[in-house]
Amino acid sequence: MLRVPLNQMLAIVILSIIVGIFVNILRSDSIPLLAKEIAIAEDLDVVFGEPVAITLDQAKNLFDEGVIFVDARDNEYFIDGHIPNAWNSGFFMELMFKLDSAQTKSGPVVLYCSDDECGSSEELANDLYNEGFTKLYVFKGGWLEWEAAGYPVE
Amino acid sequence: MKNELKNALVLFCRVVLGIMFIYASLDKIAHPEEFAKQIGFYKVLPFGVENILGIVLPWTELIVGICLITGLLVDGAALLSIIMMLVFILAISQAMLRGIDITCGCFKVSADSEKLGLDIIIRDIIFLVMSFIVLNRQERKFEFLPKSD
Repeated sequence: MLRVPLNQMLAIVILSIIVGIFVNILRSDSIPLLAKEIAIAEDLDVVFGEPVAITLDQAKNLFDEGVIFVDARDNEYFIDGHIPNAWNSGFFMELMFKLDSAQTKSGPVVLYCSDDECGSSEELANDLYNEGFTKLYVFKGGWLEWEAAGYPVE
Repeated sequence: MKNELKNALVLFCRVVLGIMFIYASLDKIAHPEEFAKQIGFYKVLPFGVENILGIVLPWTELIVGICLITGLLVDGAALLSIIMMLVFILAISQAMLRGIDITCGCFKVSADSEKLGLDIIIRDIIFLVMSFIVLNRQERKFEFLPKSD
């Protein structure tokens, strides 16, 4: 017969809740108990720090301006089709190196993945933000919205 | 002799699970924000709740790991280990079935972490079985609190 040690389990859970919340209060990089949605960019020219979400129209404008697009999907999807001149994200260090050699850390970068449901573009944006990049746009509609709009692909 | 073998197996499972949990907790404790976002990408929780889990879950892992290795509250730690593995397996499976393209966030929270795949589910099932072996043990060896049932 399996033991069901509920009280012991509860003790560990309660201890971790207390320690976790206590440490989160003390640390300098503490996070709110409830998460906030990624901010939506109102004006693309405003200088900001944290990644912001952009719409299809904004993405198209940035595309026309020649801003670097990074495709955060897996390589196989990238090969199947992507936004023209977009970079495949590949290995993170490699991407950072490429971005650094192409422009400064405050240069604009658009990141996308397949659609609103995928998280890899936002994930990548956060990693780049942690490395000091400050103008990161997450195009949440991603590949599917771009393709559906009939915009150029390659 | 047979009992000794069983006890050795239980101890082995405790140590392996313990090291795994402690190792898994460290990067998450160091980067709660990234870990919380990673939880959000699984799209199982209502939006916002991932932060509280991102704050607490790494510590649960760390404490469970320490308990398993040091022999404190081994029953509770083993049961929690089973529950966590079941939740992880469910979360990863649903993400794979829905075709969500994310990294696992199992041991590392950066973008270079492993991609979700069947290998990760199999690994978690092995950890699940090991947790059952610990919970279902007949004798208490190298345990300090509580000493007897």
